[in-house]
Amino acid sequence: MNNDISRTITRIAEIIINELKLEDITPETFDADLDLVDEVGIDSMDLATVVLVLRDEYGVRIDEDDYPKLTTVRIIAGYINDKLNSSE
Amino acid sequence: MSAGQQEYKFSEIIADPMIRERWEKVRRYFFLRESTYDMSNRCNIRCEGCYYFTGEKQFAEENDDEASWRQLLESEKERGITFVVLAGAEPSLVPHLCRVCYNVIPLGAIASNGLKPIPKEIDYQIHISVWGNDQTSQVVRKAPDMLVRQMENYRDDARAVFVYTFTPGNIDEAREVTRLLADSDQKITFNMFSAPLGYNGDLRHTTETLDKTRLVMSELLTEYPQSVLFSPYNIVAHTAELGLHELFSCSYPRMNPSTDIGLGKSFRQYRTDLQWDRDAACCVPDTDCDDCRHYAAGSAVVTARMYRHAIDPVTFSAWLDYVDTYLAVWVRGYQKGPNLCNTFINPPSSI
Repeated sequence: MNNDISRTITRIAEIIINELKLEDITPETFDADLDLVDEVGIDSMDLATVVLVLRDEYGVRIDEDDYPKLTTVRIIAGYINDKLNSSE
Repeated sequence: MSAGQQEYKFSEIIADPMIRERWEKVRRYFFLRESTYDMSNRCNIRCEGCYYFTGEKQFAEENDDEASWRQLLESEKERGITFVVLAGAEPSLVPHLCRVCYNVIPLGAIASNGLKPIPKEIDYQIHISVWGNDQTSQVVRKAPDMLVRQMENYRDDARAVFVYTFTPGNIDEAREVTRLLADSDQKITFNMFSAPLGYNGDLRHTTETLDKTRLVMSELLTEYPQSVLFSPYNIVAHTAELGLHELFSCSYPRMNPSTDIGLGKSFRQYRTDLQWDRDAACCVPDTDCDDCRHYAAGSAVVTARMYRHAIDPVTFSAWLDYVDTYLAVWVRGYQKGPNLCNTFINPPSSI
């Protein structure tokens, strides 16, 4: 389970870095607890883009009302894992 | 392309070269973060159904101090605002304050009645409100020769976008006005009268006038594609029986309790005394949210709902047309491309 979360965190970090063209950071050095809005500077349209890529990657739908809760990479990873587990 | 039952991945939707190109074009503007500012509590005309002269904001004291405005705009820039909308009551009456705003945040738009030219060096997009032909304007806005004067003031001015507000009484006149503007190489976009709170006058739309407006908008978009900044999906979104909030769930603070992200976090609507109130903050304060089909509201509210439109190529194309239109209407120098989706599609529900 921890490995699953860890892999998901790294992959989400990679997607965010790619989609937002973040520099000087790698998926391994991305702090999973950084606040994506206040500390990384993501806004709603950026997040919607990331969420679409995550939908492709993991096959999970993320409710629009849940966006505001997705404040860190770790929270997103937990959210996705929960969705995946509940669909098993 | 056609909308079907197939489930698409986002990567499949944007694999279409035309969709990808448009997607890459519009996403470069995702950095825009807006707030709006009432600039004066005076206007040189008084229109029936004016949203500014409804509610408490009209009584706010006018702050004419340039230093105070500069300080406000600098603090706005500091908190991430990249786009300003200078609106009520009539910004052209205080050009010195508009200039201060422009010098601090150089992207923005001004909503004006167009009767007093705004100095050229204030290089914001200028939205000039039109409420029918000059006979109708004389009745509803109590001002003579409005269109003639507006067109003269903004002849060959690339900042100008004429905003035709459809009311139940001026639908047919849109043909005459659009032809005049198109013949003068002016740009025009469409707005829907959205009733202020408590307004029950003749300007409030009905099912019949919404349907009729949809037909006339379609006709004009087909006839003047170079002059009319609109898309079939704009027509659907703004002439539907349901208002924008019901269709798309308005994301302005007044209707959105979340302060975590997006408009709910960053948007403010400042009164002329430079104060703001979260409970009242939206692009057209004191509008009846159930009746809101306002073009400014749609520009933010529809655009914010990207995720729910990314379900198939047709629906996503319609959304891209809407965003492309919004950017052409609001951002100086942005050129609208041809619409990708030329059929009416129903707005998707939230997922």
